[in-house]
Amino acid sequence: MTKRVDLGDFVEAFLGEAEDLLRALSANLLTIEAGLREGRQNPRALREAFRATHTLKGLAAMVAIEPIVAIAHRMESLLRAADAAGGRMTLPAADLLLGATRELERRVESVAKGKPAQAPPPDLIERLDALERPEADGARRASRLALEPAIAGKLGPLEHEQLARAVAEGRRVVRADFTPSPGRSEAGLNITSVRERLSRVAEIVKVVPRSVPATEEAPGGLSFALILVASGSDEEVAAAAGIAPQELVTLSPAGANVLDADALLAAPVEDELDEGRSGDGFQRGNVVRVEVSRVDEAMERLSALIVTRFRMARAVAKLAERGVDVREVAGILAENGRQLRDMRAAILHVRMVPVAEILERIPLLVRGLRRATGKQVKVVMDAGSAELDKAVAERLFPAIVHLVRNAVDHAIEPPDERRAAGKPEEGTLTISCFERSSTQLELTVADDGAGVDRERVAARAGVSPPESDAALLELLCRPGLSSRAEATHTSGRGMGMDIVRRVAVDELGGEVQMRTRPGHGTAFTLRVPLTISIVESFSFEAGGQRFVVPVAMVEEILELDRSRAVRAPSANGREGVSLFERRGEVVPVLDLQDVFSLPRDGRAPQKALLVRRGGEPIAFAVDRMLGQQEVVLRPLEDPLVKKVGIAGATDLGDGQPTLVLDLAALGGAALAAAETGYSA
Amino acid sequence: MSALHVVFKVGSAEYAMPAADVLQMESYSGATPVPGAAPFVAGIVQVRGRVVPLLDLRARFGLPAVESTIDRRIVVGQHDGRPVGLLVDSAREVLDIPEEHFRPPPQMVADEAAGLVKAVAQIGPRLLMLLDFAKVIGQETLDGSHE
Repeated sequence: MTKRVDLGDFVEAFLGEAEDLLRALSANLLTIEAGLREGRQNPRALREAFRATHTLKGLAAMVAIEPIVAIAHRMESLLRAADAAGGRMTLPAADLLLGATRELERRVESVAKGKPAQAPPPDLIERLDALERPEADGARRASRLALEPAIAGKLGPLEHEQLARAVAEGRRVVRADFTPSPGRSEAGLNITSVRERLSRVAEIVKVVPRSVPATEEAPGGLSFALILVASGSDEEVAAAAGIAPQELVTLSPAGANVLDADALLAAPVEDELDEGRSGDGFQRGNVVRVEVSRVDEAMERLSALIVTRFRMARAVAKLAERGVDVREVAGILAENGRQLRDMRAAILHVRMVPVAEILERIPLLVRGLRRATGKQVKVVMDAGSAELDKAVAERLFPAIVHLVRNAVDHAIEPPDERRAAGKPEEGTLTISCFERSSTQLELTVADDGAGVDRERVAARAGVSPPESDAALLELLCRPGLSSRAEATHTSGRGMGMDIVRRVAVDELGGEVQMRTRPGHGTAFTLRVPLTISIVESFSFEAGGQRFVVPVAMVEEILELDRSRAVRAPSANGREGVSLFERRGEVVPVLDLQDVFSLPRDGRAPQKALLVRRGGEPIAFAVDRMLGQQEVVLRPLEDPLVKKVGIAGATDLGDGQPTLVLDLAALGGAALAAAETGYSA
Repeated sequence: MSALHVVFKVGSAEYAMPAADVLQMESYSGATPVPGAAPFVAGIVQVRGRVVPLLDLRARFGLPAVESTIDRRIVVGQHDGRPVGLLVDSAREVLDIPEEHFRPPPQMVADEAAGLVKAVAQIGPRLLMLLDFAKVIGQETLDGSHE
């Protein structure tokens, strides 16, 4: 039998890599697009974009995600042609590629959610296929010039184009070499004067300085190769360059000494690739990609160490009670405690990602919104060196997206309105953030748009206009409230502010603030913790109250069979602890509602959660299990509520805090209480 | 010098707290009890996303529990970085009270309130007791040790 290969692991790896590649791809395409708008080509960015699509295609093919392969393949082919044409790209092509990138992102997102990737949109494929490949011909003609690779490589795409045009027009391309020397200098010939003289008889395409062996002829070890499109005769050009006519090298039309075009172009291109590779190597050499789950695993192991330290501390305390001198051990224990704390901080640090990286996707989003709304918006981002826990970043990003969408869709006015209001036609969206303290990040999304219309918002909510920005924000955060009559294509109906608040406040335990000035703009400020603890948990009910407990803490969920439980005798007349036998082990069962002194509702608990405390099993009887889910653990630090057995609180989505229990600690305390007859 | 004060009622008495120490006021719709906490701790509540302990001031002042009414409010105050909610019977007013109106509490009040009242102010016929928020929430530091 053949062993089936499980693609699951590969898909994980693919997703991690694909995200980076897509980021690089869209960043480079945006750079190209921005350059094109100013009439500049950007061959380097194009090369990077080509590389990203190429790698992405390969990875997607490995995990057999056909739709991604199909799109990436066509993008790659387009980019390859453009690259071969000296890195030239047109605006419509850049635009189409950006659209295609968005489609790739959608498919990667689907795969990340465990869904199959949607088939590529047929019109996209059609348009990618139909797009005219950049005229590689022109570049080829240019490169058919008898240029040394070292010099050809110094020519930019525009210069290649300039040469191609000249060749196509049947003009002569020549090369003149000028080598400065004291003698020539005395004769008034230096590179500046030569340039000036040449400009009268030729079009100077490029002046390439070269280092040459120092000779009598070239005492400075320096020479200039001037690539020219001659308008005057060879004699005139040579005279202007201060050289003999026979020293002039004719590069066109293509003659016997023409090198193969591809070889010509390939040489500098390969150089560049190698350079690029080593550059990447340098950057990536110090970076390791790690799945978050592995970091979490390290954290769990560390938690076990911390528990062991507690046990050790207790054992030492017992020794001390017996009169043993434990000063040295206690000192070591204290040191050990500090080290464990540092270790914990170090592991948490591994989970941090730069906020700048999270925000990299925003320009592409804004670009799409710009096109959908016809508004002009520029994005200014300043994330500095701020970092966020990966888990916080993932939760925060959708809130940022909402705020950005709102700003472009609702806040920033159309160009004509802005002009009428005396503002620049292009609106500005600013995203900035900084670490407010060692535990909190402050992120602001600000626009210079129209400001929130108090009256309209109040009218929609059916209340009188709020006076303060805080009260206005409260209204905006009402679920389903929209300040716009019609749903928009990009934001949909509603402001989504309830979602922003849900994420920042309810999920992350942060804050949202808003400042708005009519006609001047609006700023939303999110304050969120830098790290959060996400815990996979069981939720259950005991004594009419809901609780959650981390899944990792529960060894087993047992069906309680009371008939098999034995009640241990108790010395003090109180009810003893129930005991039952499980796989040869005696397990004490405590009713959680008794431990917590919760009201009994008459029914006997049906389930029990088995946990271990220092290797000893303890079961907690509970009324019923409710479910399993990931929860954000918020520590309860206040001494009023920081109690044994309570690890923190969480929000299960009802806006009410639910206690997260540490059943192991609770078990220890409760058993100790049962033994001494003292109620916990 | 005068300062804004939040005025609230617990039992038949009126109390005041400097508005500068009050983070927010919320209506009360129940708290999540915390087993093992002091009897006057009603539990924890989530106010604008923040989880804070809620002190039942009736219990804190030794008054009998009453049926909850819609007037009950949570006054969230902050001291030394600790936000704590106070459950009061009602809170409706914010008053500007000149500093000189405050006098040291009469001995009887001081004894009975176990030092929870810092000063009293006579505003017309009303007697407002200035709450010592730090004492009410307990002089404990965040790591649980006593000052």
